[in-house]
Amino acid sequence: MFRDMTLGQYYPAESVIHKLDPRVKLVATFVYILSLFFIGSVTGYLLAALFLLSVIALSRVPIGFMVRGLRAIVILMVVAALFNVFLTPGEVIFSWRMFSVTKEGCFIAAKMVVRLTLLIMGSSVMTLTTTPANLTDGLEKLLGPLRKIRVPVHEMAMMMSIALRFIPILVEETDRIMKAQIARGADFESGNLIRRAKSLIPLLIPLFVSAFRRANDLAMAMEARCYRGGAGRTKMKPLVYSRRDRIAYLILALYPALLVAIGYFHFR
Amino acid sequence: MKPLIDANSITYEYIRRDDEGNVEGITTALDHVDLQVKKGDFIAILGHNGSGKSTFAKLLNAILTPAEGTIYVDGFDTSDPANVWEVRRKAGMVFQNPDNQIIAQVVEEDVGFGPENLGVPTKEIWERVIESLKALGIYELRKKSPNRLSGGQKQRVSIAGVLAMHPECIILDEPTAMLDPRGRREVIRAVRALNDVENITIILITHYMEEIVNADRVFVMNEGKIAMEGTPREIFSRVEELQNLSLTVPAVTLLAHELKKAGVDLPDGVLTKEELVSCLF
Repeated sequence: MFRDMTLGQYYPAESVIHKLDPRVKLVATFVYILSLFFIGSVTGYLLAALFLLSVIALSRVPIGFMVRGLRAIVILMVVAALFNVFLTPGEVIFSWRMFSVTKEGCFIAAKMVVRLTLLIMGSSVMTLTTTPANLTDGLEKLLGPLRKIRVPVHEMAMMMSIALRFIPILVEETDRIMKAQIARGADFESGNLIRRAKSLIPLLIPLFVSAFRRANDLAMAMEARCYRGGAGRTKMKPLVYSRRDRIAYLILALYPALLVAIGYFHFR
Repeated sequence: MKPLIDANSITYEYIRRDDEGNVEGITTALDHVDLQVKKGDFIAILGHNGSGKSTFAKLLNAILTPAEGTIYVDGFDTSDPANVWEVRRKAGMVFQNPDNQIIAQVVEEDVGFGPENLGVPTKEIWERVIESLKALGIYELRKKSPNRLSGGQKQRVSIAGVLAMHPECIILDEPTAMLDPRGRREVIRAVRALNDVENITIILITHYMEEIVNADRVFVMNEGKIAMEGTPREIFSRVEELQNLSLTVPAVTLLAHELKKAGVDLPDGVLTKEELVSCLF
């Protein structure tokens, strides 16, 4: 049942966005998120939303998947919005006992909600259209220059991709250990929070032991296949920019340029 | 002709320590073992758990180095740190647990892992990967996730990954121990084909006697020493000795042996069912 579980939430489809180089998507997401923090007017946000919607349309990922990512932060958004609405000083438009709603508060709250929504959806586009393996590759290549200041970029990317490979295996193993412990009378369901947390110990210890054993085996297998770090290594699937990627970069450059040109950015 | 693998009087000891690091005892895993393997041979090493056979495999791949004695792989001394990578490329290794030796999330990428490490140019990596996948009969699985394969298929992916490094010899350390009978047959058939078709030297380490039937030469290990040596037929004819070494003799061989003891006219060391049938009728 856990076999298909992957980290992130890749949605397989044939689209231009899926085929883009992961580096383009990483840079685009970064630029987009950055732009959201500089936009200062309603028209600016409309433009940003329009940009995002056209990318979503191109990606052929059902909009429902994008919205799904928002569910996790709905409560956070509501709470933050309420605080803003009630606690921002300014022109009072409605008041009841000690609470008062201000015009400025409404405006700030609305801005925050829009900003967060676009931000979450914008980054979902990246994770939904890029496989984790591709994402790791892209990050490794983009952060490559950091190697000069001794950041172990290759090692981090390798760790990430190994982690991704082993998540389903360890999830399956957790499931197996859980069943084995239930068969021995373990109870994972009842009791208060502390009791339930305690009941996880007989699950976690065997899981950790097994994970360490696997790590040891894997390290040996990697060495046996001549793995000796990133130096001197070639790539089976090197990342190469195509015409499609260059066009995407061009469009990406136009987006903030347009915002600046029409003057929808405001710098505080 | 110079042997591909030349092990001279090798000894390896595991030192057990207590919590403070004091030596508690020494387990001699290998005790002055001599073993030569010719290029193109199919060698089987049999032994029960703790007989030293896995240690021997790790010594061949320079994962461990002998405490005493020398091992040469195609003329390279495994004890010399400068030779480590050359030795590992020449003597590829397949381990027991298929899950713990597949690194990538896609079959073809895993097969390409070894060549990538060797610094092979991209175009050639692809050629090697495709050729290896085809040799193991798993070309159609190349785009799949390793998690969706059967045990036998996973183990063939591991073998393909080693084959793509163009090794002189492949060492398989109990490759079938975690597989079901069907997976075991798949893997053994693939290994035999590699030896027959690609002429790759095979060292198969196992405790299943059925798997050694096609070997050119068999070594039986016990307590760090080579206890028996010979062709499969010679080995299989020494049923009592094998049983004393806690090895399970295949049912057919056992049956033939008992029949012979009871007075039926049969040759020594019957290996397969078909052979027994043709001898009896």
